[in-house]
This record gives sequence, C-alpha cells and structure tokens, in this order.
Amino acid sequence: MRRITLLAAALSLSACSSLGGGDYGFSEYSLVRAGQVSVGDGSMAVITPRPWNRHRPIFFEDIRQVEDWTQNGPLLDGMSFVTGLKNGKSLIRQRHSASQQVPLFRSNMTPPEIAAMIESLYRVRGGAVDFRTLSLEPHPFLGTSGFQLDYEHLDDDELWRRGRAVGAVIDGRLYMIVLDAAKSHYFDAALPDFEAVDASARLKA
Amino acid sequence: MCGRCPNFTDNSLTRRSLLAGGAMGAAALHTGVAEARVRPEDMVPLVGPGFKPTDTDEKGLWKEMDRVEEEVAGSNLLITDPKITGYLKSLIATVGGPAAQDFRIYLARIPDFNAMMFPTGFAVVFSGLLLRMRNEAQLAGVIAHEAGHFLRRHMIRSWRDERRKTDIFSVAAMAAGLGGAAAGAYLGDYVQLAELGTILSLFKYSREMEAEADAMGIKNMAAAGYAPMEMSDIWQQLIGEEDASARYRGKHRHKGGIFDTHPSEGSRMVDLKADAIELTVPGRKYEDYRERYLATIGPIRPMLLDDQVKLNDPGASQYVIETLAEEGWNGLLRFYEGEVWRLRNRPGDDIRADQSYAAAVAYPDAPAEAWRWHGISLMKQGRTGEAKGAFARYLQMKPDAPDAAWVRQMATS
Amino acid sequence: MLNKGVAAALAASAILGGCVQTRQYADLQFTPPSGDYKLLVLRPDVTVGSLTTGGMVEPRADWTDQARASIIAALKAQQAERGGNVTIIERRSQLPRVPEQEVADVERLNLAVDQSIVDAKYLGDYLPTKRRTGLDWTLGQDAVRLGQKTGYDYALFLHAEDEVASGGRIALSVIGLAGCFIGFCAPSSGQQQLDYASLVDLHTGEVVWFNVVTAGSQVAGIKFGDLRTPEGAAQMVDRLLGRMKPGKAVREQQKQQAGEKR
Repeated sequence: MRRITLLAAALSLSACSSLGGGDYGFSEYSLVRAGQVSVGDGSMAVITPRPWNRHRPIFFEDIRQVEDWTQNGPLLDGMSFVTGLKNGKSLIRQRHSASQQVPLFRSNMTPPEIAAMIESLYRVRGGAVDFRTLSLEPHPFLGTSGFQLDYEHLDDDELWRRGRAVGAVIDGRLYMIVLDAAKSHYFDAALPDFEAVDASARLKA
Repeated sequence: MCGRCPNFTDNSLTRRSLLAGGAMGAAALHTGVAEARVRPEDMVPLVGPGFKPTDTDEKGLWKEMDRVEEEVAGSNLLITDPKITGYLKSLIATVGGPAAQDFRIYLARIPDFNAMMFPTGFAVVFSGLLLRMRNEAQLAGVIAHEAGHFLRRHMIRSWRDERRKTDIFSVAAMAAGLGGAAAGAYLGDYVQLAELGTILSLFKYSREMEAEADAMGIKNMAAAGYAPMEMSDIWQQLIGEEDASARYRGKHRHKGGIFDTHPSEGSRMVDLKADAIELTVPGRKYEDYRERYLATIGPIRPMLLDDQVKLNDPGASQYVIETLAEEGWNGLLRFYEGEVWRLRNRPGDDIRADQSYAAAVAYPDAPAEAWRWHGISLMKQGRTGEAKGAFARYLQMKPDAPDAAWVRQMATS
Repeated sequence: MLNKGVAAALAASAILGGCVQTRQYADLQFTPPSGDYKLLVLRPDVTVGSLTTGGMVEPRADWTDQARASIIAALKAQQAERGGNVTIIERRSQLPRVPEQEVADVERLNLAVDQSIVDAKYLGDYLPTKRRTGLDWTLGQDAVRLGQKTGYDYALFLHAEDEVASGGRIALSVIGLAGCFIGFCAPSSGQQQLDYASLVDLHTGEVVWFNVVTAGSQVAGIKFGDLRTPEGAAQMVDRLLGRMKPGKAVREQQKQQAGEKR
C-alpha cells in the first residue's frame, strides 16, 4: 500500500523517528475555503458553507472529471463532484483486463441506469457486500430536470454507509454531486453542507 | 467517489479477489490434489464428542479462534433467517460424526462458492454455495467434507507443519502475504468476515489432508443416507464454472486462482466416484432430498442470484444461470440473464439484455424489476405507449418501490 | 482494534531504532479524568505470542492470559489512583441492557474513526480543516446512547500486542523490514510492542484523547517491559494512559493561572 511504503521510506534514515508529521507538511489534502469554488474539470461552480479538505488528484490514478472532498477522512465521509463525464467513460480508473468491471457511462442512460452504475462502483470496487436503493426521484439540478438517488451500503469493514447523489445528463455528459458517509452520525452531519452545495451548483458559461 | 475504493495502482482490491487470494491453497473445498486414493473405511475420527485441546500450542490457537468466532457471530454479513440456519444446523448434526453436537455453523452473505471450517469447530458457509448446490445431498457433502477436516484434526496438524517449515513470516504477515500482497495491500486485520479467506490460508491443507476430508466426508454422508455420488458431481459443476469464467476472460486461469491444474479436480472427482461405488450398500435407498432443499433455499434464491450477478463476473454468472435453467427457464432466470448482459455493458449487450427482459416478462414469475427494465428498453426504442404499459405494470406490482417517483413520472409524461 | 496495516507501519517505524515513542492528541478542552468517574473498557484487545525461530507467531494462551490479567490489574490500579471506577468488558454480551449488536456497531464505528485519526495525525494524511483543533472526531449519538444506557462517563478502546522472541531469532530481525518497502510488511523485531488507546467521552460522543505507543528494539533480546509481568503491564499502561496531558486550551489556561499566581 502506497501509504506504508512512503512512511517506511521517509523514516528509514533516522534512528528514532517521530510518529508522523502532525498537522503540517505535505498532505494528500488541500484546503477548500468556504465560499465559491470551481470543481472537477472546472465546468461547475458551487458555494460551500464550510471549509472542506480536497483530495489532491493523482495524475495517472484519478479521473479529471471527478473531484473528492472529505471532512473527517474518506472512511467516514466524502463529497464528490462529477463534471462533464463523457459517453463511454468510467467513474473510476480501471484496467480493461480486470475481471470485474464498473460499467461505463452512456449518454442515453436513464436515472435507474446511473443508479445501477453507482451500485456497481461500490460493489465491485468498494467491496460493498450489500447495497440498497432507498429512493430515486426527479430533482432539479443545474437548471434542468435531474434525479436524486438515496442509497445505503454495507461495506467489508462491517460499517453501514449512507449516500445521496444528485445529478443530470446535460448535452450527453454526466454531472453529479454525491455525498457518501458513515450512516451513524457522519451522513447527517454533512447533509446540510451537501444541500447547500447542491442548491448553489451551476454550470459555468 | 467511494471512500473505500482503492486507488488504481492498488490491484483491484475486491472482496472477490480477497477471497480468491485467501483461498489460494486454503482450507476450501477445492484445493490440493489427492494422489493415492484414501479409502473411506480407513477414515476414523480423531476427536470425540466435546473435544477440547490439551496441548499448549493448540490451546493458544483456540483462544485466537474464539475471538474470530465472536467477530463472525456478530457480523453484519450473516444471513440469520432461522429457517435456513436451522436447516444448516440439522445438516451438520447429521453428518458431523462424533462432533455433531459441538459444531456451530454460520451462513455468510458472500457470493462465493466456498465453505470453511475453523479449528475450534465453527464452520462458515458462503451463500454462493447455496446458489450452486443442486440438492440437499450435495450441500450435506460439502458440510461433511469440512467437518472431516475437524474430525481428522487437520488444522493443528498443518499449523505444526508450517511451524517446522516457514522461514520468515509471522501470523499477520503470512495472512497478508498470501492474500494481501498479491492484491497489493496489507490485510493483517483478519477478523473481518469479508476477509476470512486470508486467515484460512494459514492452514494450508496438504493434498493428503484434502483426500482425507473427502473420504471422511463421503463416508459420513453415505452413512446418513445421502446418495454419495452427489459429492463427485459437485466437482463437475465447479470445474464447469471455472472454465466458463476463465474462457470468458480469455485467460486460462484466475490470477492466483483456486485451481493449480485441471487434472487435480478431475482426479478428485474420479476418486470420489470410486468412493461412492465402494460405499453404496446394495439394496439400500439413498436420497438427495431435492424438494426439501429447493423449498428451503427457494425464498432466498432471488437474493443469491442478485448478489452473484452484481459481482459483474459475466462468465461465471452466465454459467450459473444456464445450469439452473437446465431444469427449465422461468421469469426469474431470464431476468437475471438480462442483468448479466446489462452489467457487462459491452457493445450489443443492451440489445441482448432487452431480449432477455422481454422474455422474462412473458412468465408469470417475472420480478417487478423486469418490467421496469423492459419499459426502459421500450422507451429507448421509441415504443412509448408500450413502455408506459410496462411502467404501469411495475408500479402495480411494487407501488412502494424506491424509484416509484421517477417511474411514475415516466409513466405519465 | 486498529487495522493491522497501519499498526505494522507504525511498528516498522519503531524497529529502526531502539526507542519508545508516544504521541498523543487531545481535544483542546480535554482534562484528564479525575475524581469520581466511571470508565468502561470495551473488549481490550490483548494478544501475546511467541516468535519462533521460523518467524511465526505462536499464539500462547497462557501468556495472553497473563498479559491480559496484568494489564487489567494495572489499568484498575492506575485508574483507582485517579479516583475512577473501571469496568472491563471482555465479550460484547457482557454489557447489561445493551444488545450485542449495538456494542458491535459502536466498536466498528470506533475502528473507522481510529483509523482516520491515525491516517490524519500519525501517517501524514493531515486534513487542513483540522489544523490547530487538537483532536476533532466523534462517535456521535451511538456512543452517547451507550453512555446513557450503561451509566459510564468514558469508554476506552485499547489494543495491546506483544511478541516475545524465543531463542535464535536475532538474525532474522532485519529481513522483515525489507518487505515493508514493497507493501508487504513483516515486521519482526526481537520484541515489539504496539499499543494504542482512544478515550471517548460518553456524554458527548467525542473522542477526547488518543495515544499510540510503539516500543521496539532493533536487536532481539533487549526487553522493553514484558506485558506478561505486572511491571511491564504497569509500564505500558503508564505510557499509554498515565501521562495523559490536558488539551492545549486547558494547558494554556493553566500556564496563565500559574503566571498570575506569582
């Protein structure tokens, strides 16, 4: 695992190295200040009521159209933005040879198909052992008629997580904002921010 | 987007690859190669009822396993339907030999074709096994095989063998090395149910041990009145599925797969056939209790199919569905056939899926979801009137469906 | 119980020198419990095994029992000094009025929280929004409900592990470390001890204090306090819990007050 090797390498030179860097130094996360910010590939702007931590994209690993934020760490909560995902593209990088594939987005996907794509992401890549759709309903998003999907999933760390995705397909491309967090405490704690971000989201001209 | 999704460079750390990695050389039904056939009549249990360890190392192992069992028993992944768990308990009581009353048996909702026995006498059966067994005799055979490992004290024997041989690894590292490093991650936390395969990789059963478990198992199975030939048939099915899965991927084998060489499964199949013939008492009636099995498993079969299909392993899923369909297609199977295509998502698969859904809704037992997907495909074909009809049917069957709000909009727009 | 991957990384860092490191984090407003308080210790995770020549850990029930007894005694003594009442629960079923499933749920959430704390505070994935906040994680209402049902003020989640080298292990201690660089960690020092604790205030559900202690020697044979002995256990408990420092805001206040007194 990347994290372990970085640590081992960094500490290999000192006789009694200190336990971790505390709150300073280089981190995988950068600060998102409260206020307006562009997300994903830059085509969407949102207003966040509180500061969040933005995961720095890693060139060969992450998809340019997807941006991830967290408040307390990705195991506990995460808010993600999908901006302008094109036909035939996947939400996550995967090898063609991998025996289990996350389905690709197609421009003619209806909301149930998008919901199924999200479910596959969690089951196939996230190790979810159970996934339940709680509701799927129409929802205005980015000035157009989109959808809101509510779900929950049980992961292989035995923790239930709850999620809400709002989105729409515009000009054949997928735009979404997703909140996924531990069902106990963390989802409810982040929901007000999510709702504010959802309401404020707009496409930049 | 998904907090527990590993990075691209971490080789896809799916639950399935964990199980496959852990099952590599593990205490699964299908490892090891039987060489000289072990004769069932030579198999005597090495433990009696109420067995407890007296050796220090074994006591230590049991203590660790107690913690594992507590985690398993408290896992969110268990299926706790008393009808089914009661059924499994009665099976292990029937084929468990002297330890029949000492075993515990848990059913985990993991769509893998596997079952495992732990050193302290608790067994975990994966739901994928229930999907694939054709009758009660087959299921009893698998359980008897696992019980055989306990009755012949294989775990402590293999642990002691490993002690003599191993070079570098400690417990946690071994577990990680076999399951985790292969998948590019450290899996030291072995007590989570979804990663159970890795802990069992520590108890590498030798070929001889697998042969013993086969022989002990089939002996107890036949003694209980089950048709012993069924145990050999399980292998045929397993081989068929692995072939289909590997063929689909264009590879010869799972990476780090459960099987080493084809002949090994073949030879176990052959040996079990010979065992079965030896054990069959002429004139005695043997049962497979198929009806009882189907009646018990029936209610959860849709869930089992759903879990299997949602693994997105089209080769294996297709094989399973086609095998089940040998007894006749129905709405449920055609629906899941459609799901396999839909999730495979390759060019042309949407048409294949449409055809399956259309076939599914012709049967009375078509699940409501078949109507919804049928409606969506009709909509995409521009057959709006028919689509609305299909949506209406969906809403009629499931007025409180989670997506009823969206479907209602489609049905009335 | 912390993910052993993280635990291994921390152990690996300690192997590189003969040293004991401890780094604790606390809520800014944290004051170590004193006076009359009730502490619940949930399923302390204690294991002691013997490192055989082959490098395998042979779990030793007798040693584990000894260590567990020593740690529990040390915990009780140490907490008694502070005036608290300690109850240690070994199995989930032992908490009256609380179903096992609820205990399990709290433990699992705690595990995810502990892992997040270690990632953010000890392994360098720091979260900018948490800078200067001390320790800012919570177990939420589930923990508060647990406190209400059971009447405890604090819950302590404790993990302690120890491996004692049997003869002939010295040559192998460095080899294991190499594995860490390729993501496959087989830490194998002479004796390694990795302990951590998280303290949750059951009135608020907040994790108010967190500490990791790693102790390892580069050369097998040099002991750092055997968990099986009362002295070793007391030493571990003391390192882990005994030097609980108040949170930053409280320390500053105390400094101010001390300054004013002159």
